[in-house]
Amino acid sequence: MRKIKSLFTGLGLVKLLIYGFFLLFLIIPLLSVFLVAFTNEPINLFGSLISLEQLQTTMNQFKNATLDNFKSIFSYGHYFEGLINSLKLSFIVSIWVLVICIPIAFGIARTNMPFKKTISALVTVPLVIPTFISAYAFIIMFGRAGWVTYIYEKLGGEGMLIDPYSMTGIAIVQIFFFFPYALWPMVAAFKVSDISLEEASRNMGAKGWLTFITVTFPLVIPGMLSTALVIFAVSFSDFGTPIILAPSDLNLIVVDAYREISGFFNWGGAAILTVIMIAVAGFVYWLQNYMLKGRDYGVVSGKPKQVKLIDHKALTIPLSIFSGFVVIVPLLAMGTVILQSFATTWGKDPLPNGYTLDHYRTIFTSSLGNIQNSLILAAGALILSVVLAIFVSYFVVRYRSTTLDFMTTIPLIVPGIAFGIALIQTFNTAPLQLTGTAIILIIAYTIRRLPYMVRSTVGTMKSIKQDIEEAAVNLGASTLTAAITVIGPLMLPGIAAGSILVFVTVIKETSISILMAPAEWAPMSLAIFQNVLRAEYYSAAAMSVVLVVMVLVLQAIANRLSGRNGL
Amino acid sequence: MGSVVLEQLRKDFSGVTVLQNINLDINEGEFFALLGPSGCGKTTTMRCIAGFETPTSGTIKIGGKDVANLPPNERNCGMVFQSYALFPHMNVFDNVAYSLNIKELKKSNPLKKIGVYTRMLNSKLVKYPKEIEKKVMDILEYVELTNHAKKLTSELSGGQQQRVALARALVMEPEVLLMDEPLSNLDLKLRHTMRNTIRRIQQDLKITTIFVTHDQEEAMSMADRIAVMKDGEILQIGTPTDLYSNPKTSFIADFVGTSNILEGTVVSAENDLTIVQVGNQQIKSKMKKDKKEVQVIIRPENIIVLNGENDNYDNTFEGVIHLATYLGNTVRYDVKVGDHMLVVDTIYESGANIKQSGEKVRLGVSPERVLLI
Ligand SMILES: Nc1ncnc2c1ncn2[C@@H]1O[C@H](COP(=O)(O)OP(=O)(O)O)[C@@H](O)[C@H]1O
Ligand SMILES: [Mg+2]
Repeated sequence: MRKIKSLFTGLGLVKLLIYGFFLLFLIIPLLSVFLVAFTNEPINLFGSLISLEQLQTTMNQFKNATLDNFKSIFSYGHYFEGLINSLKLSFIVSIWVLVICIPIAFGIARTNMPFKKTISALVTVPLVIPTFISAYAFIIMFGRAGWVTYIYEKLGGEGMLIDPYSMTGIAIVQIFFFFPYALWPMVAAFKVSDISLEEASRNMGAKGWLTFITVTFPLVIPGMLSTALVIFAVSFSDFGTPIILAPSDLNLIVVDAYREISGFFNWGGAAILTVIMIAVAGFVYWLQNYMLKGRDYGVVSGKPKQVKLIDHKALTIPLSIFSGFVVIVPLLAMGTVILQSFATTWGKDPLPNGYTLDHYRTIFTSSLGNIQNSLILAAGALILSVVLAIFVSYFVVRYRSTTLDFMTTIPLIVPGIAFGIALIQTFNTAPLQLTGTAIILIIAYTIRRLPYMVRSTVGTMKSIKQDIEEAAVNLGASTLTAAITVIGPLMLPGIAAGSILVFVTVIKETSISILMAPAEWAPMSLAIFQNVLRAEYYSAAAMSVVLVVMVLVLQAIANRLSGRNGL
Repeated sequence: MGSVVLEQLRKDFSGVTVLQNINLDINEGEFFALLGPSGCGKTTTMRCIAGFETPTSGTIKIGGKDVANLPPNERNCGMVFQSYALFPHMNVFDNVAYSLNIKELKKSNPLKKIGVYTRMLNSKLVKYPKEIEKKVMDILEYVELTNHAKKLTSELSGGQQQRVALARALVMEPEVLLMDEPLSNLDLKLRHTMRNTIRRIQQDLKITTIFVTHDQEEAMSMADRIAVMKDGEILQIGTPTDLYSNPKTSFIADFVGTSNILEGTVVSAENDLTIVQVGNQQIKSKMKKDKKEVQVIIRPENIIVLNGENDNYDNTFEGVIHLATYLGNTVRYDVKVGDHMLVVDTIYESGANIKQSGEKVRLGVSPERVLLI
C-alpha cells in the first residue's frame, strides 16, 4: 500500500509525468507513423481514446490496412531509388572521411608535424557551422558565378570544377564538414593502440612503415570501422546539405520524405520513408554497438609507455600540408560567406565589387523577428530540457532506471526529419492539435537534444555521491529540500554547460525547423533556408554570419564552464 | 537520548538475505560497537536504524518508540558517514548549521522559509539568528575547529573533516549517534587520537552511540559493549573483557584478539578436570563440555615459556622456536609443537635474551586458561 501511495506523491509523481511525456511525444508518434505506413492515411490515436466514433473510424482504417507501401519500396520504384542513393551517398562519405582522417589522425597522435596545435584547433570549425550554411557556401564558391569557378576558368578549365548541385557536390560538403566527428576517435585509437607490440615489431627489425601496416593499422581497425558507422549515420540523417544541393533528378530519402509531406501531403508515402529511415539508422546504431561490445579498445598490455613522437621531416611535412588543405576548405567556405555578407554585389570575380553593411542593417530590421524567434524557441527548449534532464538523470543515476536511460537514447538514433514527420502526423488533429504551434516545435527540439543534456547532467550527478544526499536527509531535510539545497547547487555547473549546448544546437537545428516551424515562428535557420531558395544570397549570408557568431560565443562559454567544472 | 532496540530484524536484497535474527538491546547512553568482517552487514544494520533501508521484517525502536513509519529525516539519528559526506559547496559553519536551518525551516511561515532557503544556498545573503550562531560556535569550539569556521571543507585535513562531520551530527542533539567506520580513512596515529576524542565526547554528552568497525582493537578500546557479527548474524554480545575471555565460538576467539585454536577429542572428564587429546598431546582444562569433539582455545599470553625453575604446570609441551618477532614490550614466538604451530606472547624485560629460532623450549599452560568450545 505504501508503495502505491508513494507513486502518487512527490518524486513518484514526477517520474510518472516524465514517462507520460516520453510516451506522448516520442513513443506514440513513432508507433503512429509505423501504423500510418499500413493505413496510408493519418490515424487519430488520441481521438480514438475519447470518442467512440473516432475509434470506429480508426478501427476501419486498420481493417483496410495494406502492405502496399512496403511493396512499393521494393518494387524498384521512386522510393527505392531514393533509399539506394542515400545509402550510396553515406557509404561514399564514410569511406572518404576515413581515408582523409587516417593521415591527419596519425599526424596528430604520433608525430610532431608542423602547425599541429593550429590544425587541431581549426578542426573544430566545421562543427559550429550548420550543414545548410556549408552547402550554400559551396554554391557561392563552386557555382556558376563562384570565385573557384573563376580561378578554374582562368587556369584553362571549362565549366565548373565540381557541380555543387550533384551527388558529388553533396558528398564533398559532407566529407569536409563531417570529418571532425571521426577525427578525434581515430586520434584516440592511434594513441592507445598497443605501443609495446609496435616496439616489439621494430625490435625484430621491421621497418617503420612495415610496422605501421602490419601492427599499428590492424590494431586501430575496429575503432575505425565503428567511427565509419558514426559518419554513415550522420550522413544518412543529414537534411541540410541535400535539401539545398540535391537536384530535382536526384532522389535522396530525406528529401523525398520532406517533399511527400510538405509538398503533396502524402501521409502514407512519408510514413513508409520515415519507417525505412529509422530502420536504417537503428540498424547502423546496433551494428556500431555490436562492434564495440566486449572490445575495450585502449587496452595496453604490459606497462603503458609514452609514445615517441615521430620527427621525420619527410613524413611530417607532407602530413602537415595535407591536414592543412583539409582544414582550410571549411574555413574558405565560411570566409566566402562572410565576404558575401559584406558585399554590395559579387559576380564571377575573385573578390566582391564593393563592401557595405546594408545586409546586416536589413536583417536587423526586417528579420529581427527571426532572430527573436530563434532565441525564444531555444530558450523554451533549454528550460524544458533542464527540467527533464535533472529528473531523468536523477532517476537514471539514483534508481538505475534503465527504461528512462533507453528512452533518452532513442532520439540519438531517429533522424530529425523522421522524428519531425512522426510528430506532424500524430498531432495533426484534435483533441491534441499541436502541429503548427510553437509548443510542439519546442518539444521536438527538446527531445532531439535531450540526450546531450542528459549526458552532461548524468555525469555531474554521478560525481555527487549518494551519501551526500543521505547526509542531508539524515540531518532532517526532506528529499525535496535536499535536492534544492545540496544536489541542485552541486549540479549547477553541469546544468549550465549542458543547457548552453542545447541552446546552441537548437539555433543550428535544420530539419525540425524547416519541416515544422509555422511562418509566425520562423527561426533564423528557416529564414536562411528560404532566402537561399529565393536566391537572396546576401541576406542569407549576413544571417548565417550572425548565427555562426552566436554559436561560437555560446560554445566558448560552455567550454569555459565545463572546463572549470572538471571534477 | 534514547535506547535502541532491534527485534528479529531481517533484511533481504532482491531475495538474498543479508541480515537475519538481529536482536539488540542498546541502553541509553551506552557506547555500543558493531564488530565484524567486511560484508557481514554492519552498514546495512546501521542504515536500517537510520531509515535508509526498510527492514524486510522485524521492529526497530528508538527511545521506546517503533520507528517503522518514520522516514529517515524524522528519526533524529545523527549519522557520521564513512566518507564524512560533508557538503562540498558549503563552509564548515554552514555544514554544521545545516540541521538547525532545517529545524527553522519547519517552523517558519512561507516568507521566512524563503529567507532560510536563501541562507542555505548562500549564507552571505541572509544572516543567521543569534541562537544558531551560538550553538554552532559552541560545538565548533568543542571539537576545536573555531578557527576554521569560514573555511571550505576541502581545505581541511582528514582529521578536521572528521570532526566537522561529528559536530554536524551532534549539533542536532540526536537521540542516537551512528558512526560507520568513521576512522578508516585516517592514518594510524590520527586514528588513535580520534578514538580518544570520540570516546571523550561520548562520555561528556552521555549520548547513545552505535559505532561500526571491522577493527577489533578499535571496538575493544572504545565500546562499553560489542556485538560480533558474521554473515548477517550476531554471534555474541558482551563487554570487551567478556568477549575476550569467554568467546562463544572459535571465530570470535580468533577475531577478538589472537588465539591458538586446536581440534581435539575429550578422553576423560574426572573431578573438575577435562582431558582432551590433541594430536599426540593431552591437554587438561578446567572447563566442562558435554560433547566429544571440541576446539581448544589458548590465548598466546597464557602460554608460559618455562626456564626450569617454575615447572609445576599441569600442561607442559616440548617445542622448537620457529620464529621470534619483537613487538616492543612483548616478544611473540611461533613455536612448533608436534604438528601444531602455537603462538606465544612473552613480556619483554629489557636486557633479557630473545630466544633464537631452532632453540628448544618447554611451554606451560594452567588448566584454568584452557578454553573448550
Ligand atoms: N543495496 C544493496 N543491494 C544488494 N546487496 C547489498 C546492498 N547493500 C549491501 N548489500 C550486500 O549486503 C551485504 C552486507 O553489506 P554491508 O552491510 O555493507 O556490510 P559491511 O558494512 O559489514 O561491510 C554485502 O554482501 C553486500 O553486498
Ligand atoms: Mg560497511
